[in-house]
Amino acid sequence: MKYVDEYRDAELGSVLAAEIATTVDPDRHYKIMEVCGGHTHSIYKYGVDDLLPDNVELVHGPGCPVCVIPMGRVDDGIALAHQENVIFTCFGDMMRVPGSEGSLLDAKAEGADIRMVYSPLDALRIARSNPDRDVIFFAIGFETTAPSTALTLMRARSEGITNFYAMCNHVTILPPLRALLESPDLRLDGFIGPGHVCTVVGAKPFEFIPRDYGTPLVVSGFEPLDLLQSVLQIVRQLGEGRCEVENQYSRLVPYDGNPAAMKVMAEVFELRPHFEWRGLGFISQSGLKLSEGYADLDAERRFSVPGIRVADPKACQCGEVLKGVIKPWECKVFGTACTPERPIGTCMVSSEGACAAYYNFGRFAREREVV
Amino acid sequence: MDARGDGVDCGADEEFGHCITCSDEGVPMCIVALDEERGLALCETEAGARSSVEILLVAPVLVGDSVLVHAGTALRKIEEVVK
Repeated sequence: MKYVDEYRDAELGSVLAAEIATTVDPDRHYKIMEVCGGHTHSIYKYGVDDLLPDNVELVHGPGCPVCVIPMGRVDDGIALAHQENVIFTCFGDMMRVPGSEGSLLDAKAEGADIRMVYSPLDALRIARSNPDRDVIFFAIGFETTAPSTALTLMRARSEGITNFYAMCNHVTILPPLRALLESPDLRLDGFIGPGHVCTVVGAKPFEFIPRDYGTPLVVSGFEPLDLLQSVLQIVRQLGEGRCEVENQYSRLVPYDGNPAAMKVMAEVFELRPHFEWRGLGFISQSGLKLSEGYADLDAERRFSVPGIRVADPKACQCGEVLKGVIKPWECKVFGTACTPERPIGTCMVSSEGACAAYYNFGRFAREREVV
Repeated sequence: MDARGDGVDCGADEEFGHCITCSDEGVPMCIVALDEERGLALCETEAGARSSVEILLVAPVLVGDSVLVHAGTALRKIEEVVK
């Protein structure tokens, strides 16, 4: 496929890998975080890390929206799904995320009407064809999926559909990155920036990272050559003493983002004072809720939810994985008590989760030998 | 799809079940038909899967254009990079 195949060329990959090897300082260790779960998935799917020199370490960031959902929000979703006359809709992976007393999939088995959708538009279609039922969409994701939820709510309004609601769990990527940079646990040499978030918000909002924290960031595409090119750009910046935001993904990312998308988000959403992130705790102004103009479509206002904070299971170390402090295979339950079939933590659920990526692509065996 | 770059068609995305994600995955799709009045387009993935897609954020687009789709909404028109 055009714009895809040419970014998976093995020969060009070898050339880039060789260039990275000659650019890095052999006496230095490079710790680079890929922010986005989509990058984590691509890195292990294509074995990008195998092409990097030993002193270039990739650590995984908090950019998988399923992984950062705290258990309390799952419980709230399940409570909504059990309400009378409700059809609860959500994306596929979300159904398997464990709450304190089971997952949405378990609730479905118990009789709740929970349906998997591929987009909020699908959920709206269900509302349109079930006018005597209340349809709730479990909205989740970063700035990539928030415009989709916003447009669907605007469409519901313009079509006069009155039985469609959203439970908003949308989050924004910049506050957790700031929290990570302020954390003493982690010292990073560079960021592989979230390419698709940047198609919406642009690369400009990330300028505070090199400016205030002295850490370079390269906005990257998701194909293996994109990732190698981005690593090369980061190590080049470090070698040349530069520190700036660069845009490797210029075929899709305009530096200033998509103003139309930001406009619909600003109309439909407003920032919550704070929102809980799994492993990262409460981060101020990091979550979105429906604005006053759309309050009547807010499932949390229309129905009652418990809203109880639930601590993660003690055995689960998703928090440390999400902060890049430990590698997935260093978690005590990785691959034993916690597997994609029976996940304990969120990182093992989503295909973009770091633990699932390690597990599915067999990347842990080699790493374990190193220990 | 030659995802491994070794000339073997491994059907990577289907093989690894990557289609059921949190929908925070960007999927390149081609526009097959337009319903401009409703702001929707019928789009097709490389594997031939079709779905309705919101096109308000990338308008104007034409049949045959490639777009990046997240959760049923086209976020960007995929264009040639001019170097």
